[in-house]
Amino acid sequence: MDVKNPIANPLIVLREEFDDWAILFDPDTGNAFGLNPTGVFIWKLLDGRHGTDAIVNRLREEADDVPEDAGEHARQFIESLEKQGLVGYEVQP
Amino acid sequence: MRLMRTPKKMDIDITNRCNLRCRYCYHFESSGDAGGDLPAAEWLRFFEELNRCAVTEVTLAGGEPFIREDLKEIIEGIVRNRMRFQILSNGTLIDDDMAVFLAATKRCNYVQVSIDGSMPESHDVMRGKGSFAKALQGLMTLRRHGVHAAVRVTIHRKNVHDLEGIARLLLEDIGILSFGTNSAGAMGLCRKNAEMVQLTTQERVTAMETLLRLTKKYNGRINAMAGPLAEAKGWLEMEQARLEGRESMPNRGHLTGCGCYRQHLAVRADGAITPCTMLSHIELGRINRDDLGEIWRDHDELRTLRERHLIPLSRFSFCEGCPYVNYCTGNCPGLSHTLVGEVNHPSPDACLRKFLADGGRLPDRALLG
Ligand code: SF4
Ligand code: SF4
Repeated sequence: MDVKNPIANPLIVLREEFDDWAILFDPDTGNAFGLNPTGVFIWKLLDGRHGTDAIVNRLREEADDVPEDAGEHARQFIESLEKQGLVGYEVQP
Repeated sequence: MRLMRTPKKMDIDITNRCNLRCRYCYHFESSGDAGGDLPAAEWLRFFEELNRCAVTEVTLAGGEPFIREDLKEIIEGIVRNRMRFQILSNGTLIDDDMAVFLAATKRCNYVQVSIDGSMPESHDVMRGKGSFAKALQGLMTLRRHGVHAAVRVTIHRKNVHDLEGIARLLLEDIGILSFGTNSAGAMGLCRKNAEMVQLTTQERVTAMETLLRLTKKYNGRINAMAGPLAEAKGWLEMEQARLEGRESMPNRGHLTGCGCYRQHLAVRADGAITPCTMLSHIELGRINRDDLGEIWRDHDELRTLRERHLIPLSRFSFCEGCPYVNYCTGNCPGLSHTLVGEVNHPSPDACLRKFLADGGRLPDRALLG
């Protein structure tokens, strides 16, 4: 079965501004999207080598008090990035 | 106040050369006018560092950016390094080929063209014969190819009575959305030609009234960060605060005149990194030699500038007894340095008390619209 891992669009700039907060900047449109610290953490793992489950596991390893439904939230977050063209999928055999 | 990890934007003098010699050019004979141009390879290397620093936007100025034969190569470097850009230009060297190229990059926020008159007389008198026609042609070329063209009008003694005509030309005949205004400041060549160029107090009054009236007429399609229109709005606000006997106004009463070095840095054409194009005498380092992020976060000169806003205006003998002291920002530090030799001082150029003492009169508040 093919496994689709999310991968960040390399054209998008992750601009970490204050503490762990950041914006994603799309130079082609000039649009910017705000990211909270969890969003930044996830974005950095969108390297095509981590599936959503692996990302959530890493999140649980790194942070305390990760809620039960974090997996669903992470999935929705990645889907919303995909809809905006900020994330694609690399197919791995 | 929290500081971003890296600058968001860079203002780059990409060249020290220009095909014109405008009588009020702030660049030539200022400390920004230093050394020769760097080869494109140096800029391309620097853009890679900007990419690593997640800088998102670059302003190319000069001199005249379009004089560089390798400008396309430089812009390709900006695009490759995930940034957008804008160009400040006199407009006279823009041709179809360049406009097509700019449009194709899809990264150009705008090209700002200087148009100072509604007719050749009021533009060419300061910028040189034939420059009005060429600037207009440049503006139209950009528009024809879908490049967003912004216009800046610099107000001086020879066009202050042509403002109505300029607004009609730009907003009605050509149909641009809006334009910006400024006035010839006391920097660079303008200092040398001050008599001919800089508005007298009475002309300043005329400019303020006319611009407020036109801004109202054209529903806010005229704007300004400095110069008579910005002063008129700012000073009316200060006067209102005084009349109401307000204790203070937010972010006023200290040297809060400009905080641009919290958002961006500048680079001179010779590669020196400076806090701002108006403060180009302060060298913070050099591109491709010093680490931009370290300069941004740790340079003593920047720290000092960023603490400027803590200095109360009441500390200066210049402001002693001024009824506006709690409502004033002390204005631009670059102009202050040029005029009184100190960065940490209020600038006399945009001082309301001085303007009134010189016989100036504030416009009617009703003009604010
Ligand atoms: S104002 Fe601009 S166009 Fe005029 S001489 Fe200076 S750099 Fe050139
Ligand atoms: S003297 Fe001028 S600069 Fe000083 S507070 Fe008054 S208006 Fe502002």
